Amino acid sequence: MAAPTLDTTRSRQGAIARPHPPGSRRRAPDHLAWLAPLLAMATLFFLWPLINVIRLAFTNSTLLRDDYSYTLSTFGQALTDPSLPGVLVTTVIFVGASVAGQLVLGLLIALIIQRAISRKLRGAVLVRSVVLSAWVMPGILIGVIWQIVLNEGPFGLVNSALASVGLAPVSWLSDTKLAVLSVVVANIWRGTAFTMLLLYAALLTVNPDLYDAAKVDGARKLRTLWHVTLPQIRPVLLVNTVLITIATLNTFDMVLALTGGGPAQATEVLALHTYNAVFVNFNLAGGCVLALFLLLASLLLTAFYSRVLPEEQR
Amino acid sequence: MSTTTAGGSGTAARGARPRRRTARTRARIDDVWTYLGLLAVLLFFGIPLLWMVSLAFRNQQEILVTTINPVPDHPTLDNFGQVLRSAQFPRFLLNSAILSAIGACGAIAVAAPAAYAFSRMRFRGRPVLLVGVLALQMVSPLVLAFPLYRYFASLGLLNSLPATGLVYIAILMPLATWMLKGFFDGIPRDLDDAAMIDGATRWVAFRRIVLPIAMPGLTAVFVITALLAWAEFVVPFILLTSPAHLPISVGILNLQGTYATNSTGILAAGSVIAVLPAIVLFVVLQRFIVGAFVSGALKG
Amino acid sequence: MQVPFLTLAGGCRRAALAIVIGGVLAVAIGACGGGDDLVTIDRVGRAEAPKTLTVQLNASYSPQASTPEAAAGFKKLFTAWAKRHPEWRLDLNIIGGTMTTAEQARLLQKAKVGQAPDCANVDSFTIPLFIEQGVLKPVEKYFTKQQVADLFPYVRKVITGPDGHIYAWWWSTDLRVLYRRTDLVPRAPRTWAELIAAAKAAEKKDPKVDGYLFNGGRWEATTFDNLGYFWSQGGKLLDPRGAPIFAEGANRTDMLNVFKFLRSAVTSGISPSRVTTFNTYDEFSTAAQAGTVATFLGGSFQWPTMQSLLPKDEFKKWAVSELPGPRPGETATGTGGWSMAAFSKDPAKVAACMDIVKSIYAGPGNTVTGELPTSRRLFDNLKAFQAPIFKTFRRFLRDAEPRPGLSIYPSLSNELQIAIGRVLTGSATPEEALQSAGDRVEQTYQLLTGT
Repeated sequence: MAAPTLDTTRSRQGAIARPHPPGSRRRAPDHLAWLAPLLAMATLFFLWPLINVIRLAFTNSTLLRDDYSYTLSTFGQALTDPSLPGVLVTTVIFVGASVAGQLVLGLLIALIIQRAISRKLRGAVLVRSVVLSAWVMPGILIGVIWQIVLNEGPFGLVNSALASVGLAPVSWLSDTKLAVLSVVVANIWRGTAFTMLLLYAALLTVNPDLYDAAKVDGARKLRTLWHVTLPQIRPVLLVNTVLITIATLNTFDMVLALTGGGPAQATEVLALHTYNAVFVNFNLAGGCVLALFLLLASLLLTAFYSRVLPEEQR
Repeated sequence: MSTTTAGGSGTAARGARPRRRTARTRARIDDVWTYLGLLAVLLFFGIPLLWMVSLAFRNQQEILVTTINPVPDHPTLDNFGQVLRSAQFPRFLLNSAILSAIGACGAIAVAAPAAYAFSRMRFRGRPVLLVGVLALQMVSPLVLAFPLYRYFASLGLLNSLPATGLVYIAILMPLATWMLKGFFDGIPRDLDDAAMIDGATRWVAFRRIVLPIAMPGLTAVFVITALLAWAEFVVPFILLTSPAHLPISVGILNLQGTYATNSTGILAAGSVIAVLPAIVLFVVLQRFIVGAFVSGALKG
Repeated sequence: MQVPFLTLAGGCRRAALAIVIGGVLAVAIGACGGGDDLVTIDRVGRAEAPKTLTVQLNASYSPQASTPEAAAGFKKLFTAWAKRHPEWRLDLNIIGGTMTTAEQARLLQKAKVGQAPDCANVDSFTIPLFIEQGVLKPVEKYFTKQQVADLFPYVRKVITGPDGHIYAWWWSTDLRVLYRRTDLVPRAPRTWAELIAAAKAAEKKDPKVDGYLFNGGRWEATTFDNLGYFWSQGGKLLDPRGAPIFAEGANRTDMLNVFKFLRSAVTSGISPSRVTTFNTYDEFSTAAQAGTVATFLGGSFQWPTMQSLLPKDEFKKWAVSELPGPRPGETATGTGGWSMAAFSKDPAKVAACMDIVKSIYAGPGNTVTGELPTSRRLFDNLKAFQAPIFKTFRRFLRDAEPRPGLSIYPSLSNELQIAIGRVLTGSATPEEALQSAGDRVEQTYQLLTGT
């Protein structure tokens, strides 16, 4: 279906002058009809459950009984749980390192691929495909595979490789600190593709004249990157960061399959902790309290990013 | 990395030849770096995938006792056979396909009109609602799943693919709205206005003018939301209880066997089959998706 | 950038087409696997049979088992049953996987809203939980008094409700034992001290091996396997009312002893730190295959696996013994296994369900899967269990303890996994770890009982 042919000069002038095309009456809530499906779904599947989560957080409900009463003790218990600080610290490290890693690696890969394609080097599309393949795998599967790769036993891939060059095996999953690193690496492996895709597309929209100008001014590559490229893709960076932060905060299936939260609780991130509260302890109210923490964290981080990386004015 | 040459590029030809050779050499050196970078990325992302494929072809004896040689001594197709012959696996794939289709189509159906309204219309509360939509993206499905679980249970909707599909739509629609708005913003308003001047209603302008032009974007959004739906774990894990209704992202757990039997090979084979459609789809369409992103999605 | 054949409507149409094709493929593939008329991928019996029974089975106990012998065996058994009961059609829900805790909770949830299958495999140790929630039907009238008397005492205890009725039939069981390589550890260690000494000696003899491997990761087996050490001292997890008491009084001392023993296994070097990453019993059999382990705490069900994995002369080196305890003669072992339970209100369906367990599972099912029977009579009579190893296992069952299947157990197990992990990695002292675990379980218990 082709667009109708227009005399664009005329309509461009016209469009600026008139906010509404002549001949259409200004109906009052015109936009509501367009937004209705979205708003209805949002109310039914977001607002209503959220209200319930908030409500249940003030009860002592469990998964096993239908009756419950209202109380603040659940909040108290959740806040005074001695494992909570550890879980929060783990989550902060996990999210922070994952997001930073994905951003850096995603940008790096996007730059490499962009250069490779523009220089007609071979293999760029293959590499891009492989990176994307990592993204479409279910989280559980990624956890299982990385557990095999990092296994410290005779069949662990990485340790076998280390052994073959004479290095000592590393406790990837049994050392409390290294386990967190392992989980971070697996998460970066999983999620970088999204950033790569977004930033690659963003890089393609940057005006090449800007690069030439920078070259004329004698700028080195890194300076070009920092002063020219990054500011140009800032809005995309912001949205990208928000999206992957939220996604990482909510990740628990991969962690569940990779370490189960262990050793002990070293890799039990907040999302996994919440899941355990509801489906292992059957503590529905406690799970709702933790879920609200998750939500709060998402809100805070989004607000933080909005300050640090302001969007372009539209 | 490389040093810059002083002076502008437009000076006399006297210095041009050495400078051009230097530039070409510099470019070649950078090419080597680029190739190395590509190789490193390929290794990092490809090795676990390669390992998964390798495991899928191993028999019980070889499954866990390995060296770094990915090729098994006695490769076998048994694992694939068992997976395909099992009752559950084709059903998992079918369920995944259904949920992805419902989720993606539904999300676009809900998001497109809303994104159009956000893009074209000015109304009170628009900025607030926009932020609100993005805020929806922040709510984890895990948070929503608990009350939804109780609600569905009481309504008897716990094993219903359509009902779960609705939840998929809800989860995917914020991202879809945001992306589609970007695409619509990239289409000049003059086109709609011109159509409406000619007497069309806004709805007609939308359907006949804007949507067709936005088709690349719509398809890109469709592919992305379908893939996100394919990998979705929490929602089906909690809301779908019977194995006959599970999608592959959850059903894959069932391939692990009991703790008494070792079925890593089967798990790997099932995984290869499970991710193959998604990978193929993405690889085939990636140029297209990237192009769509470049042309429109990244405005705001 | 327009690609003409892609329209929005076309997109959804193509998706629908893909679904149809996929569905046809799925059915075709599925049909290829079915084959027999009476036993298909999700049905047993004639499709048009008047009576229907929904049956939920673990994949390993169904015609879709992952081992071909088990699959063929069950197919034969179900076909024979279908021929004997032509009026019944069984609609099969096949499940598998290792998410046992979540699966059982889910089954319970389904039962409470009346959506459970008519007949299902239930993890035996959760039977008391199901009984407590009142979702099972009494079934003692389908078994003879002799059959009930033949059951091992711990089996009978678990399936009997507080009202004296039997609510499920536990048909397969297993236990935990100490596997050892006799060329490295000639005599069975009877105490913890002996185990440590023997493991150390084994490592000196063959530096390649780990002296003692056990489950220490974040999964159910970590708690379960090591509880044997707790029970052998007479420790009790719960009091008769079901309240957790494992962190109090004498039980506290017993549990601390276990923690300290496990910690000493790591500090003395007989166990590598990677035990905290184990979440499958395969780690042991693979290590045995690679020749890198001297002793390990494994399941009776691993014996056939070891037999198939190891070359004959290697396998001959392996023997089993009961778990060592703090003092000689003190031993206990955790047992598990699977039952069949009936959820339906229809007596005819309950009867059919029990008939299935009687004619397919209790006895023939044991033979097919190699999992131990729960009845003394079956142990004596079944050909498959006459090898000496099974006499050994049967003897060990004398000291068997089932896990308490009450609603507090998943939380208790989770906390013990965490505590053991903390002790093993040294991030907490045994006292700290136990205190934490005890407090949190107590908190959850109060929440769940509404006190």
